[in-house]
Amino acid sequence: MILGANLKEALTSLTTAKQRTILALIGIVIGIGSVIGMISIGAIVQNEALKQFKEMGIDIITVRQDSGNTGKGGSFRLDTIRELPLHVKDVKEVAPYINSSVSYGQGRKTEGIEMMGVTETFFRINKLRIKEGRQITDLDENRYFCVIGNGAANILRKFGIAQPMGSQVALGQRIYTVIGVIDKVPEGGGMRPYGLNNAAIIHISTAKRTFQSPDINVFLARVGTEQKSAQLKQSIGDYFTFKARGLRVNVQTAEELIEKMQAQMRLFTLLLGAIGSIALIVGGIGVMNVMLISVTERRKEIGIRRALGAQQSDIQSQFIIESVMLCLVGGLIGIILGTFVSYLFAYFTKWEFVVSYMAIILGFGVATAVGVFFGYYPARTASRMDPIKALRS
Amino acid sequence: MPLLVFEDIWKSYQVGPTVLDVLKGISITVEKGELLAIVGPSGCGKSTLMNIIGLLDKPSSGSYHIEGEKIGYDDDRILSSIRNKNIGFVFQQYYLLPRLNALDNVGLPLAYRNVPKTEIADRSMEYLKRVEMQDRAYHKPDEMSGGQQQRVAIARALVGKPTLILADEPTGALDSSTGQDIMNLFTKINEEEGVTVIIITHDLKIAAQCRRSLKMIDGRICE
Ligand SMILES: Nc1ncnc2c1ncn2[C@@H]1O[C@H](COP(=O)(O)OP(=O)(O)OP(=O)(O)O)[C@@H](O)[C@H]1O
Ligand SMILES: [Mg+2]
Repeated sequence: MILGANLKEALTSLTTAKQRTILALIGIVIGIGSVIGMISIGAIVQNEALKQFKEMGIDIITVRQDSGNTGKGGSFRLDTIRELPLHVKDVKEVAPYINSSVSYGQGRKTEGIEMMGVTETFFRINKLRIKEGRQITDLDENRYFCVIGNGAANILRKFGIAQPMGSQVALGQRIYTVIGVIDKVPEGGGMRPYGLNNAAIIHISTAKRTFQSPDINVFLARVGTEQKSAQLKQSIGDYFTFKARGLRVNVQTAEELIEKMQAQMRLFTLLLGAIGSIALIVGGIGVMNVMLISVTERRKEIGIRRALGAQQSDIQSQFIIESVMLCLVGGLIGIILGTFVSYLFAYFTKWEFVVSYMAIILGFGVATAVGVFFGYYPARTASRMDPIKALRS
Repeated sequence: MPLLVFEDIWKSYQVGPTVLDVLKGISITVEKGELLAIVGPSGCGKSTLMNIIGLLDKPSSGSYHIEGEKIGYDDDRILSSIRNKNIGFVFQQYYLLPRLNALDNVGLPLAYRNVPKTEIADRSMEYLKRVEMQDRAYHKPDEMSGGQQQRVAIARALVGKPTLILADEPTGALDSSTGQDIMNLFTKINEEEGVTVIIITHDLKIAAQCRRSLKMIDGRICE
């Protein structure tokens, strides 16, 4: 039988049994919607994280002192870190930093600001863009100058400092002069330290004098590509073992971080996919149920069609098409809903919204598969009906 | 060559512990172009016989030939295809599909033959005209009277140009004058197109208008 006619009939038969159709749709909508929503949210998260790596470059590594489980390890000495590029030639630049949280404001309402003590290289390695003023340089040693993040500038404005640039701010019992403001940077996931947007960045020498714990536990470095990452790790490890009396370090490359993140994403997708599949199976059983009722209710129609010469295969495809259409309608609504949910997610996290075309194609594919799979048995029952018995009913 | 040859057809049903013989050795021959009536009291097995003639049902024993071809009952595809191409059914209850309009109902047998859509519509309209129902083409069955529905059903039986029309009490649900209109239609079809028509009826007036009539009593043909 011609496909077009079949589609039209499936549509009319689905619209005549509205309530039942809607009921069956709910399961499919939830199933497809959750799968699509989850995959799309995953894509948004991944896109955001990768964006930061792309922006910063993947030639950045993080080196932490690794005190292991003992808790009392050493910490880095500033000059040891600064001399690292001289001894390990693949390390091009280093940017040690220390941080400490302070609260800003008077009275009841205070806001957290992240103080960061850095060297000149920090700005370059983190690809921070100066919006106003200038960055911290090594000439600012021991001076009370700070460069603030976009978020920190907003906090200052909230506390009545209309022009943060050039103002004097009290942070952790010291007064600093704001000499620069940096552009907003994407947060989370990349190699950048957390809290840069809400940071007040000062010179590391000033930080060592004012912070309660002035230990340097971490630094960023930009590396070349001459050495394999395993070799590089080894060289850096050897350097600190030798120079800092057995200080152990943990080196994390951007590649590793990306890989780790992707593995996490895969796990997340798999888990959520499993939840979605369960919803789909429940939805599919709903569709099968509706189709079985539909077959029973339309026995006479089946008998008439068979009397007029419909083959068993014609009847079977008629009902399978109907069940696939049902699932596709549910799938379409689910895709719209899932995409909308992921849009909301992007909206509230202020992350870039990306449509995962793969998810949409997958959604339609899965809907069709569910329709065929769960429509098969009812359709087969319909096609195997004895024409006489069907007519008499 | 005769159109249909029935040889010693039996049909039995197992009802609980007993076997009920509904058809008890029916042998008939129907020539091409006949207008044949089958009459008999209720329950004598007329519908059962018609279902077997129409390949909707299979006999318990006996042989059945259509145009010299022996009917085997193991391949449903062949039976469906013969029903589709060679046989047109008209039922007492019309049996139109309620969701389709008259035109689409008439086109159904052609839809199962992969005829292109526009051709289906053209031919369906042509046959609706033949039964004078063209102005109800886009009406649903529940918007038509019984007589009108039966006319549409006849158009549907004819649209595939079958060699045989089987009508099971086609006037049974209609008043006598509408019934007579329908009967006139059958006579016209039989005369003008040479289609073989077998009509099952209670109505002796209807049977009298057929050139040949067979009387059935208790599963047997008498005379
Ligand atoms: N599936 C079945 N199982 C058992 N008995 C059946 C079955 N189908 C039909 N019968 C019996 O066969 C007999 C003949 O039925 P059929 O419908 O052929 O009668 P009919 O001559 O068409 O009667 P009417 O004029 O009332 O339509 C009836 O006694 C009926 O009870
Ligand atoms: Mg009957």
